[in-house]
Amino acid sequence: MTAEAPDPGAVRALLAEVGEDAGELELSPVEGGASRQTFMVAAEGVPRYVLRREPAEGMSFATLELELRAIAAADLAGVTVARTVAAEPAGGRLGPGAGYLMEFVEGTSVAPRVLRRDELAIARERLPGQLASALAQIHSVDPQAVDGLAGGGDPALEACELWERALDEIGEPLPGVEAGLRWLRLNRPPPPERAALVHGDFRLGNFIVDEHGLAAVIDWELCHAGDPAEDVGWLTIRSWRFGNDELPVAGLGELEPFLDAYEAAGGTGPDAERLRWWAAMGNVKWAVICARQAHDHLTGARPSAELASLGRRICEPEWDLLQLLSGD
Amino acid sequence: MAAKLFGDVREWVPRDHRFQVLVLANLCAVIARELRAGAEPTLADVRLFRELLRVPTEPAVPPQDADEVARALAGELAAAIRRGELDDRLAEAIARLREHARRQLEIARPGYADEPPNVPEGRP
Repeated sequence: MTAEAPDPGAVRALLAEVGEDAGELELSPVEGGASRQTFMVAAEGVPRYVLRREPAEGMSFATLELELRAIAAADLAGVTVARTVAAEPAGGRLGPGAGYLMEFVEGTSVAPRVLRRDELAIARERLPGQLASALAQIHSVDPQAVDGLAGGGDPALEACELWERALDEIGEPLPGVEAGLRWLRLNRPPPPERAALVHGDFRLGNFIVDEHGLAAVIDWELCHAGDPAEDVGWLTIRSWRFGNDELPVAGLGELEPFLDAYEAAGGTGPDAERLRWWAAMGNVKWAVICARQAHDHLTGARPSAELASLGRRICEPEWDLLQLLSGD
Repeated sequence: MAAKLFGDVREWVPRDHRFQVLVLANLCAVIARELRAGAEPTLADVRLFRELLRVPTEPAVPPQDADEVARALAGELAAAIRRGELDDRLAEAIARLREHARRQLEIARPGYADEPPNVPEGRP
């Protein structure tokens, strides 16, 4: 999705506030972001930065301010993140939506490159273990330490209600997704022993990867308090294997060694039923997000061929959801 | 059109725009398959939704009305499922609705439904 770049003067002023004397600025959109807008900020004599901004309209779950608090908490817990250097509230210098500048982290977040580039072969061997450790660190964060984090009482019920509401807002009838949601509502796991900070979008595409492996966990806009199994289930859904269907952990590895590493780093591996439930819910979530993105295109809120194309992909998670629940 | 975009245009557009070209090529391919398939997949959905709603499967729907009727029935079915009216046969509905998803996949992502599912197991 290509967005109109923010005012370079505003970005220069933000940089000046953190002691960077930037001259001529180049702001180039980073393609592939489906919700928030992302720009590379380059200038003579200063390090590169990345600017993230909320679109004026469209879906956004956590506010940008909350996202920043979650990133800071994860950073304290030892998660490798792209640190925030400056932020601007909605209606401020970066436009109608809030925005922030973060460190540029060298590497790639583009999933097919991570999965297939020769120079990342060693990274691919290391990534499952690194992702397991990072996830355990995220889940070690007490959600009460992140002011304003939603959720955490009965995460499974909250997820059912959230995605039912989202479907209603879109108004697109999806009987397959609705049947899956109904099954999930009727077969909910009990709340976890301890609610955790949940990243909410922990999958390939939201990791910056260099030749050594994981360089940063990014895109925290779906963070909330909830069941740690949610992140594990989401990481294993087929849509995030990007064609490497035989490897359930992000198209990179098998589940058992991933759970071993997750538990060794302090996480509690989910049992089979809980994992299946959250993987099924992950497919509901992706189907509804696809529908929402297509809706944003069709209503003119965010015209984009990429968002339109996501409308044709609803059937992928819908199929995976129904397969998971059919059990054959 | 899709082959041209994917095979030729992608090569000479600036690197920053190749992703958009891929998206457009894929959309063109989807639309071409949709045109080739005609109204039959939607009419099959109409029959399926009526069966699940337990309403008469006749009269037949004219092809030109298929989209509108299918959408209305999908809305009725989704609402009935939400209200719990299919709870006593939810397993059957889930199994049957795979037919609907499979038909859509044949247009949007041929071959996707043919792959065996790889369902990860958690801890015992």
